[in-house]
Amino acid sequence: MSIHIQKVSKTFGSFQALQDISIDIESGELIALLGPSGSGKTTLLRILAGLEGLDEGAILFDGQNITNVSPKERKVGFVFQHYALFRHMTVFDNVAYGLKVRPRKTRPSKEEISKKVTDLLALVKLDNFADRYPSQLSGGQRQRVALARALAVEPKVLLLDEPFGALDAKVRKELRRWLRKLHNEFHVTSIFVTHDQEEALDVANRIIVMNNGQIEQVGTPEEVYEHPNSPFVYDFLGNVNLFRGRLHKGKLTQGQFEIDVPTYLDSYDDAVGYVRPHDIQIEKEPLNNETVAAKIVHIHMVGPIVQIELKREDVDEYLEAEIPKEHYRELNINNGDTVYIRPKQLRVFIPEDFSI
Amino acid sequence: MELTLKKRKKNTIIPGFTLTLGYTMLYLSIIVLLPLSMVFFNTLSMSWSEFWETIADPRAVASYKLSFGTALAAGIINVIFGTIIAWVLVRYQFPGKRIVDGLVDLPFALPTAVAGIALATLYSPNGWVGQFFDFKIAFTPLGIIIALTFIGLPFVVRTVQPVLQNLSSEIEEASASLGATRLQTFTKVIFPELLPAIITGFSLAFARSLGEYGSVVFIAGNMPMKTEITPLIIMTKLEQYDYVGATAIATVMLITSFVLLLLINIIQWYTNRKFNLK
Repeated sequence: MSIHIQKVSKTFGSFQALQDISIDIESGELIALLGPSGSGKTTLLRILAGLEGLDEGAILFDGQNITNVSPKERKVGFVFQHYALFRHMTVFDNVAYGLKVRPRKTRPSKEEISKKVTDLLALVKLDNFADRYPSQLSGGQRQRVALARALAVEPKVLLLDEPFGALDAKVRKELRRWLRKLHNEFHVTSIFVTHDQEEALDVANRIIVMNNGQIEQVGTPEEVYEHPNSPFVYDFLGNVNLFRGRLHKGKLTQGQFEIDVPTYLDSYDDAVGYVRPHDIQIEKEPLNNETVAAKIVHIHMVGPIVQIELKREDVDEYLEAEIPKEHYRELNINNGDTVYIRPKQLRVFIPEDFSI
Repeated sequence: MELTLKKRKKNTIIPGFTLTLGYTMLYLSIIVLLPLSMVFFNTLSMSWSEFWETIADPRAVASYKLSFGTALAAGIINVIFGTIIAWVLVRYQFPGKRIVDGLVDLPFALPTAVAGIALATLYSPNGWVGQFFDFKIAFTPLGIIIALTFIGLPFVVRTVQPVLQNLSSEIEEASASLGATRLQTFTKVIFPELLPAIITGFSLAFARSLGEYGSVVFIAGNMPMKTEITPLIIMTKLEQYDYVGATAIATVMLITSFVLLLLINIIQWYTNRKFNLK
């Protein structure tokens, strides 16, 4: 089912939670709503589910305006961060709930319900847990029950509010993979809220980055990671190093240090260059004006990528670089060494443009 | 025993286990067990036949029926209306909410005799409320139920209220998004969560009603075989210096109450079990 969100605004008292949000979501997409806490992502999700009203705008499901339709009639599956399972019901009854509460005319027979629940429990790999109570399950299992319960009503849209937020890292990764697989099988339009950029980049087909109740950027994981359109997105999706300087005639200069940025021809007194840690090149000798001296403060060496923390010698700023382990071995550098670094790829933003 | 105590002492970081347990035991013995055992001790001075004669006296038997019946009825009424009051106090915002909240405790604070006299005046055939009814309220079992409902109300409200407060709104939202109506959400999701608290509130209100004396004697009319409650029979016997007879009746009440409360506790334990498996 396609979803159209048209100019939605919402305030809580004097707090503007959402400001003029418009997005179109195609049928079958797997969307991540990414943003820091307080960015309005959960509010938007709850508005889609009908759990929260909106002040202005409209929500369309398959072209039908459902802005004032109750959650009961929206046919959405909602998965809560803290599962919201019914404690006094067994796993089976939890999953069957959505079917059992249907009016008699549309309610499946007992056998049909039983079959459906058993199938769903097999899908979430909890076949042997049908008679357990939620208190007897681990966090990951509870979240799977919550997912099965939401899927039981055959929702046209699946909404997940920080679905893996309360789980430990390993279970989270497993469930992430599992969610993607599930989505590939069912093709139900799914939207999940997260503040974890890695999760969003890993699972979603498309990411909506939100900040302060507004949409910062919408795009595929690759687009938003490789081509962030604002300093906020740059900063939020992954680590970033800042190079402040003066922009003049296609060069960003700061003291001795000077980098060519041929695409920026305007002049600004203070501009900021954004560089990802893996776009920082480390040399043992100065090459030209494009390198800047920095001292190695800390080397973090677990895994195939070596993370190096550096302190610039000209200004009091810290930098972070990531280089492959092999390259690190070739360089033969140690804590306390002075090296020369060069940004390989740099994106310049002018502060006035994005003053919030 | 000593071994387990020692073991426990080693395994916990919370201090004072032996001290507090010892205090609890001593306190319960002096305040609860000792007076209660005096009841049995006094009764023991009777022979079996005397004992049976006292407790099986038709007047006494009628009073048991009345006392337990009215306490049960009042308990049930309190469960229904107490839950509604707790619901209103937790779920809705309205002016004067704090005052209403305070009113709930009033039956606790008011001397029971004052409550009894007030209720008797209101519900007597010429009273403010009584005059509107064709049938008698005061001086009938109905009057007793009203008095017992009055004094038992806070128990249900105060036990259900905190549970309702802690109930996350998420489970209601989950129920709604799964397509349940509001009524289904209440009966299938909220009510089962409240049930343990409701049972506790009921057993407290019921137990309190069984022993209630002050507020009831004024509204009951105290007609033998009709509106005479068991505590009144005990009181009457005491006034006639029939101490042994009074304790015999008290023994019956005590044992019956104990059995009933035990039963309620078993039900309670059963409903609670699934919430606290781990």
